Amino acid sequence: MDLATSMAVAASGMRAQTNRMRVISENIANANSTSATPNGEPYRRKIATMQSDFDRELGATMVQPGDPIPDQSEFRMQYDPGNPAADKSGYVKLPNVNPLVEIMDMREAQRSYEADLTVMEASKTMLARTVDLLKR
Amino acid sequence: MRKVRANDRFTDAMNLPDVPLLALLRQRMSWLNDRQNLLSQNVANADTPGYAARDLKAIDFESELRGQSSGFSGGLATTDPRHIAVSAGGSLQAQDAALTETETSSTGNSVSLEEEMIKVADTQAQYQAAANLYSKAIGMMRTAIGGP
Repeated sequence: MDLATSMAVAASGMRAQTNRMRVISENIANANSTSATPNGEPYRRKIATMQSDFDRELGATMVQPGDPIPDQSEFRMQYDPGNPAADKSGYVKLPNVNPLVEIMDMREAQRSYEADLTVMEASKTMLARTVDLLKR
Repeated sequence: MRKVRANDRFTDAMNLPDVPLLALLRQRMSWLNDRQNLLSQNVANADTPGYAARDLKAIDFESELRGQSSGFSGGLATTDPRHIAVSAGGSLQAQDAALTETETSSTGNSVSLEEEMIKVADTQAQYQAAANLYSKAIGMMRTAIGGP
């Protein structure tokens, strides 16, 4: 249990938030990805997951990014008979991505990332103060 | 044989970690170190479902210091049954961690980032103060022995 450990924990938090950002960017980028064939499924929104994981070697609770899970909510329907993905009645299934939700999620990930960064800076300063004791 | 004994006495008197003030400061820094560690775990797990925020139990360092000046026996004096007995050089373990009382989100996470940030800044400042005091104490000792 030393300051290097607390920096490693903060780094694991940053990794998890980075993973979350990746999933969010996938969702936003695919917000309009429809199927190329009639009755096909469009892009399904993914939800980033993370678990806390006790690291026995460091003796600290790290964060482990989990596999993204598909969002099971319903697809949006839009009347667009000219679209190649349209079914017989002319409706196209659009991804269940709500850009507003994604942006909100992104802000949250950003905030958590910054918090991790602040902790890391603080730990680094404390470590530097300890090394400073060697001076003089 | 005699020379060894003389050496022993010399180390007894000059062992820096045994100087009460330095021992206490070391204890303080170690405690802040452990706390910073816990806080970083809280912040890293700020979005993990079901994670409960933890913090170290506060130690009354002031009364510990008073206990030290009146008579020091190597460890921290326990003048109250609620005090935690600490031997010299020992550090407080994470077992002393207590759950912080903050509201829990719908995912079962009880980390409040704002609160943790305040605690991190506080811990950093306290650590800086302890480290400065430590080097000041060493400097005074150096003055006493007429060093540069």
